Amino acid sequence: MTEQEVIERIDSSLAEEFELDRADMTPEANIYDDLGLDSLDTVDMVIVLEGAFDFKIREEEAVRNIRTLGDIHRFVLEKVTQNS
Amino acid sequence: MKACCSKTVKSDDRPGAVILLMNLWAYPLLVLWTLFGILISPLFFAFSRLILGWPIHRIMRWFIWLYGRGWLAFMSPFVRFRREQMGVIKNDTPCLFIVNHRSFFDTYCMALLPVHNIVYAVRSWPFRMFWYGGYMRLARYLDVEGSSWEQTLEQCEATLAENGSVLFFPEGHRSRDGELQRFYSGGFKVAISAGVQLIPLCIDGTEQLLPPERKLFRPCRITLRALDPIDARLYSEEGGHIRLRKEVKKQIATALCAMRDEASL
Repeated sequence: MTEQEVIERIDSSLAEEFELDRADMTPEANIYDDLGLDSLDTVDMVIVLEGAFDFKIREEEAVRNIRTLGDIHRFVLEKVTQNS
Repeated sequence: MKACCSKTVKSDDRPGAVILLMNLWAYPLLVLWTLFGILISPLFFAFSRLILGWPIHRIMRWFIWLYGRGWLAFMSPFVRFRREQMGVIKNDTPCLFIVNHRSFFDTYCMALLPVHNIVYAVRSWPFRMFWYGGYMRLARYLDVEGSSWEQTLEQCEATLAENGSVLFFPEGHRSRDGELQRFYSGGFKVAISAGVQLIPLCIDGTEQLLPPERKLFRPCRITLRALDPIDARLYSEEGGHIRLRKEVKKQIATALCAMRDEASL
């Protein structure tokens, strides 16, 4: 899977789960302030990403530091690279 | 999701004297009714436990429902309450209710439901209201914000297994403009996981009762309508909760439009 395909899968999964507008989903977008997610969504976000990429990340400390969509992209790309 | 209504409900244009009278009536009675409930609750629990033999959490849910019925009664001189299609709700069939959210008083209006053995899934802040929090905990209400997903699912399944029902406000917050907001997925995942019926409920009019940023009640009409049950087992495929969520949201949006159109006639 290419980097662009990973990013596309992340964005489409999150857009579907959280009813997000794809136009708002820029790498700089803050997932809380700009995309309107909140504490309840953080759990769902982890579940969505785990489902989309078939890995386990809920115990990872780095998840708590995610603030922007770009952070999610980098985090998942790193995990995908590690697992491949 | 934007409304598809052809008509909107006009804001209430009753004279200020009626609004003043309503507030002089409703606020003190709400305080007195709450104090009365707090004072009488130990006696109520003792007698109910003795006579009915129900567990405390079930008695508490009944007590909260009766408290809501009292609120409906003393608000009724100024508010026309109406409930529709309640026949789809069966007392002996546990289900998961999904309700749109327009006002703090939506929860009070759930006393319009013909069943009382219901666990509400709420955020953490309502538990911090000292006059309600203890009762909510005794009724085993779900703190979805303060619990893990696994805990929430486990508690929901335990409630459903003992013939109770669970109620979610999927928008999480009150709508500020009357339009449906984004739906959280939690309730839909629970319904699918537990394999129970999901009953969408539409509430209309509570946004008129106490509009956002206002302090005064206003006379209004409030309608609670139940929609046909949906078998959540039909959505058990991978990602089925999203399909179920979209279907329920569409049904609620359509019904709310129809209700608003009817209200404006």
